[in-house]
Amino acid sequence: MSLAKKNSAEEGSVLVRDILRNLQKDFRVEFRSRFAVNIAVSFAGIVTISISLTAGGAPFPVKVQSILLWVVLFFSAMNGLAHIFVREEDQGTSLFLRITRSADSIYISKFIFNQIFMMIIGTVVTPLFVFFVGVDVIHVLHFIMSVIAGGFSIAASTTPLAAMAAKAGGKGSLFTIISFPILLPVLWISISSTAGALNEARPESGTVIFLLAFSGFITAISILLFRFIWLEN
Amino acid sequence: MSGIRYTLRVQDLAKKFNSTLLFKSISFSVETGGSLCVTGPNGSGKSTLLKILAGIMNPTGGAVSLAAAADIPPCDWMNHIGYTGPLVNPYDDLTGLENIQFVLKSGNYASRLDSLLRQFNLTQHRDKLVKHYSSGMKQRLRLILAVLNDPPVLILDEPGTNLDAGGREALSSFLDLARKQKIIVLATNEPGEEKLCGGGIRLG
Repeated sequence: MSLAKKNSAEEGSVLVRDILRNLQKDFRVEFRSRFAVNIAVSFAGIVTISISLTAGGAPFPVKVQSILLWVVLFFSAMNGLAHIFVREEDQGTSLFLRITRSADSIYISKFIFNQIFMMIIGTVVTPLFVFFVGVDVIHVLHFIMSVIAGGFSIAASTTPLAAMAAKAGGKGSLFTIISFPILLPVLWISISSTAGALNEARPESGTVIFLLAFSGFITAISILLFRFIWLEN
Repeated sequence: MSGIRYTLRVQDLAKKFNSTLLFKSISFSVETGGSLCVTGPNGSGKSTLLKILAGIMNPTGGAVSLAAAADIPPCDWMNHIGYTGPLVNPYDDLTGLENIQFVLKSGNYASRLDSLLRQFNLTQHRDKLVKHYSSGMKQRLRLILAVLNDPPVLILDEPGTNLDAGGREALSSFLDLARKQKIIVLATNEPGEEKLCGGGIRLG
């Protein structure tokens, strides 16, 4: 094996090791405080049950069901998704993290953490919503794919925005404002894709592909630009 | 610790925050076995200078280089520099040992870890959550985290903050031993710590 190949293999294994250690640390800290998960699950439960009780058993149109599902998913997740970076600034640990790990390993681990968090929220909220609101899912596979791809896109888009908001010290309000233009197309397509799974007509798979491609694009750009957000000037 | 000799070179360093000039034209060089003390009143830029040396902050002008057999690129400095300062906070929701394991780069430093824990008197507190540490214990942990991976360059910002007499003694005996094998740059206004350095620069 040539020296260059050997060095690049060593760098790769160090990156993987660092990502795993960051993830272990983030899950340990989150497990001990349970801040993000508690808020997200409580919000999702309260809103879903409130919608169900207010409707009083009357069925909503398919488009409205789809909109409500994404409103619940989106707002349940938002606080937790921002929390992963905001916590580092709030607790004053960001400098410690910066001197300990490379920017790439930090970004990738926070991205994975947010994807897992979003998956947990999706897994808890979606069946709850389907049950309490009485959603009739016709194309089950397309429905599941829409929820997964939409959640993936939301987590991919909000991770770099959370880093920006945390570095700017703006916390919640700034995060919500800067995420609006980026998340608008994601929510739009997710709602339309989910509505397609609730209709009789055969759904289009293009919406799911768009969401996955959008996530890939945002993630690639974010990995390249993250070091400029993360390092002090 | 390898026998490689390093040189930390600083040339015409300047830092400006908006229109406020913090310092300019700072030049010096320190080799392995040398130490430098940065002193000056509060707000004179000691911590900023140390952050620039540690590669955490970019200067407005000038350059910092760390040379061994070949120049080390700034992206690789993290592996060669041990830095601590008042704003380096370990994770409150992790134990002292978990914070140390997070920083530890290789299992080869396990025996060094035991000796550092003993030296800084943290062995019996290693399994406590850091949020239950006193400020002096947190400072001892910060020092252990900075020196744990045996970096050839140590950049220490106010290392004696919050330490009691025992802690200060442990710090000065550690620095006394380390300065023969490393480059040490420390910012302080403590006369006791200034004496540990071979040279000094004053800001402000």
